[in-house]
Amino acid sequence: MGPAIRLQNVGLKYGDNVILEDISHYLEAGQCHVIMGPNGGGKTSLLRSILGLTPFTGAIDIQWPEHKGNIGYVPQKATFESSLPFTVMDFILLNQSRNPLFWRKRKKEQDHALAQLDRVGMANRTDRRMGQLSGGEQQRVLFAQSLLDNPDLLVLDEPTTGMDEQGVRYLESLIHELVRENKTILAVHHDVSAVRRLDGQVHVVNRQLVDSGPVSEVLRADKIERLFNHYTGGNVSTLNPAQGVK
Amino acid sequence: MDTIRHWAQLGVDAGWLSESFSYSFMVNAVVAAILLGPLLGGLGTLVIAKRLAFFSEAVGHAALTGIALGVLLGEPAENPIIGLFSFCMIFALLLHFVRNRTNVPYDTLVGVFLAFALAVGAALLMYVARKINIHMLENVLFGSILTITDYDLLILAVTCGVILLVLIPTFNRILLTCISPDIAKVRGYATNFYDYLFVMMITLVTIASVKIVGAVLVGALLLIPGATARLLTKNMGSFVLMSALLATISCLIGTILPMELKLPIPSGAAIIIVSTSFFLTATCYRIVRKG
Repeated sequence: MGPAIRLQNVGLKYGDNVILEDISHYLEAGQCHVIMGPNGGGKTSLLRSILGLTPFTGAIDIQWPEHKGNIGYVPQKATFESSLPFTVMDFILLNQSRNPLFWRKRKKEQDHALAQLDRVGMANRTDRRMGQLSGGEQQRVLFAQSLLDNPDLLVLDEPTTGMDEQGVRYLESLIHELVRENKTILAVHHDVSAVRRLDGQVHVVNRQLVDSGPVSEVLRADKIERLFNHYTGGNVSTLNPAQGVK
Repeated sequence: MDTIRHWAQLGVDAGWLSESFSYSFMVNAVVAAILLGPLLGGLGTLVIAKRLAFFSEAVGHAALTGIALGVLLGEPAENPIIGLFSFCMIFALLLHFVRNRTNVPYDTLVGVFLAFALAVGAALLMYVARKINIHMLENVLFGSILTITDYDLLILAVTCGVILLVLIPTFNRILLTCISPDIAKVRGYATNFYDYLFVMMITLVTIASVKIVGAVLVGALLLIPGATARLLTKNMGSFVLMSALLATISCLIGTILPMELKLPIPSGAAIIIVSTSFFLTATCYRIVRKG
């Protein structure tokens, strides 16, 4: 079972630039939560705050059901130098084992790595250099990496960026599978039709929490344009007050 | 060491080894090369992956200042190990500390630190010039196999052993920390700790290499075998092993060849020339193969 996440008065500033302001919210356990909003609205910053990757004000509590579980994370991108002989299998094993890459590789670890790559359709590209993969292929490998520890909370930052249709299908079916297993998924996404297919809870962030609820309620044709307007100082928060904090 | 030297003498007597192996300094130098080569080559792959080539160069140059400082503070001119160790370690940690707290590009910052260390070293050398002769300075800058003692070998063996013991269980985490610090943090790895640990390993191996490779050229030996192996290998495992092998072969040939050919070349210079010739050969091979 995945955790619930409670946000209390979460704020984030870079110098004088306010990124997030007084966000209080509760994300239910075992559901797929999609964070949406305009560019620069603070989606990734909110995700990074939840993961503890950036300093913030307020409080974020990841409420594990029993004991602390595993977190899988797919960043928006990672930089892989194309000239470095660093393969797909190297990257997966690096995340999985303390056994150094220049040591003899254990069959069990390789099999586990291969199984995760197979889940994202990359099992036949284990010998390719990470830096020579397309952006979409790199995203798939990053996704396979996040599945290594059978995560209870999966955090995805724009996971389909640069991905082809087949990659998107792999990803969506895996997300559905994980939700069925009661894992909590938290994803930043920008593609409205893809989010509709995920059928989870949508939270629109534009410095503040603008709207929140099931896809069918939030992503209504009459609301979308207003929700994705850039922050204009005070107007946004009055568009549609966030649902009550539990 | 006496046993190894005895075996070497037996090899010379039996005609398997050349006459030069009857000199104990030659045996010492070969042992030092065998200890140092794999470590420099292996660590070099991480230096390349982390883009710290210029940093390792700067630490090498700081060794000059460390030696001058040690002599000035009363250490023996032949082996001012405390001054060398203390200054290089403070220099490296301070540089890394400032790097994490400034927006100045890293290469610019390293350039500033390197220039400062050299300037201070040059200034201090004037003060200690009466205590040392000019050949000692040459040895520090470019390495000399003649100066390697049993005590140096002991320090080298301990240093290499410690670094290897630390490197093997942390290699993957150090590499992940540089490739994706965010993933490493989410996995619960102390990324800052692994960064500083690597900086300390580079500094230690640099200090240990000063006598054989020299302060000016040690950074190059951390870089060139790795750069060569990168051209010839297809995955990280073979990259590390090939780099370690090339560094060891370079150290051995660079140590033995000048003695055999009676060339008055410092060991550090010979090692780097051999290493660079491998790099050029590998580059030509790649160019020809790719058309």
